Amino acid sequence: MSKSKKLVYVSEDLIREAMETARSEGKSLGAFVEESLELALSAKEMGYSLKEASKLLEVVHANKILGGAFVPLEVFNHLIRAAYRFGRGKLKERWYESGVLHGKYLKEKFENPIEAFKAFLEAARWDLSEVEVREEGDIVKLRCFSTILTKEGTETLLRYVEGALHSMGYKTVKSEHIKGMIILEFKR
Amino acid sequence: MKVKRKTLFAREDLANRLSVIAKQHGYSLYNLVNEILELAIQAEDAGINLRKIFEESLILKNAKKDGFILGLETLWYEMAELAYEKAGEEAIKRWFEAGVWLAKRYVTAGMESPFEAFKRSLEAYTWNVPELTIEEDERTVSIRMISPRFSESYALLYSAFLEGALETFGYEVSGKEVSTGMIRLKAVGKEVDVEE
Repeated sequence: MSKSKKLVYVSEDLIREAMETARSEGKSLGAFVEESLELALSAKEMGYSLKEASKLLEVVHANKILGGAFVPLEVFNHLIRAAYRFGRGKLKERWYESGVLHGKYLKEKFENPIEAFKAFLEAARWDLSEVEVREEGDIVKLRCFSTILTKEGTETLLRYVEGALHSMGYKTVKSEHIKGMIILEFKR
Repeated sequence: MKVKRKTLFAREDLANRLSVIAKQHGYSLYNLVNEILELAIQAEDAGINLRKIFEESLILKNAKKDGFILGLETLWYEMAELAYEKAGEEAIKRWFEAGVWLAKRYVTAGMESPFEAFKRSLEAYTWNVPELTIEEDERTVSIRMISPRFSESYALLYSAFLEGALETFGYEVSGKEVSTGMIRLKAVGKEVDVEE
């Protein structure tokens, strides 16, 4: 690895802040800069930017606090199908409740909880191929699409989304769904 | 407003790679370096360092590749309870197959040490499990998971998942203890004679 150095320009304010941060971390400015640049490059090589990574970290952090856990998608689909067969009403209610919990948390922690909820859905539920959220004044329009979501998964997800938005102070004004597609509209 | 600039030294290889990236994205090197430093400072101010951001965000990226989704732990337990109670055999089969699938992904990926990669993933995806130890030597693998929140059904299902993975890695389960809050598995290489 090359050890030669190159001069790069940085804004003066930023250098001052970086020096303070590095000092508080017990690092030299050089080490702090080098580590930051190296990590940014690693993130880029993995196909994303550190900005995206920092968004994902918020999702990871929120999920750890809220009791999130990973399960294989196939297992999830099986569980939901089996549980649905034997206790549909209760299951939907539980998904609604978990939406309420997540919505309350996001409302408290984020300046724009709707945007945070979208990021939450996109990162945690990659089985959704598209999550679209539009805020138009008091109205929030939400559409989720998935080519792999089951009928049971669609219906429980719908209740989860409603739970989240209801706890943020919205009420459902339009609700449509078919397997793999959810179209919802809320009003504050 | 005109921003005052200063120069600092960066390792040449890093600066060159950043230049390439900046060019690819239509940025100047100055803007890219500033953006990275800004983020690093923000992260440190929030009490998180950039390395943590990078490592933790990788969990979600890898989970996607490994076919894992995130949801509320209590919901998984409740659904597992119901699924196991009403159709236990089918549930066990599904979890076992999920373990086989994941292990196969690693075994066939041409990695130098697929079991090590599997182990690292499992550790990352079980952040909700207070204690997980996976010990491997030439002949055997021992897995111990302790979580007071695991119901008996969930523990049984998770152990089926682990068994599926172990068998795919060429091990045979030789000892098993599963109960509420705990899974202990011991497995030996299939071609190795078992000494009890």
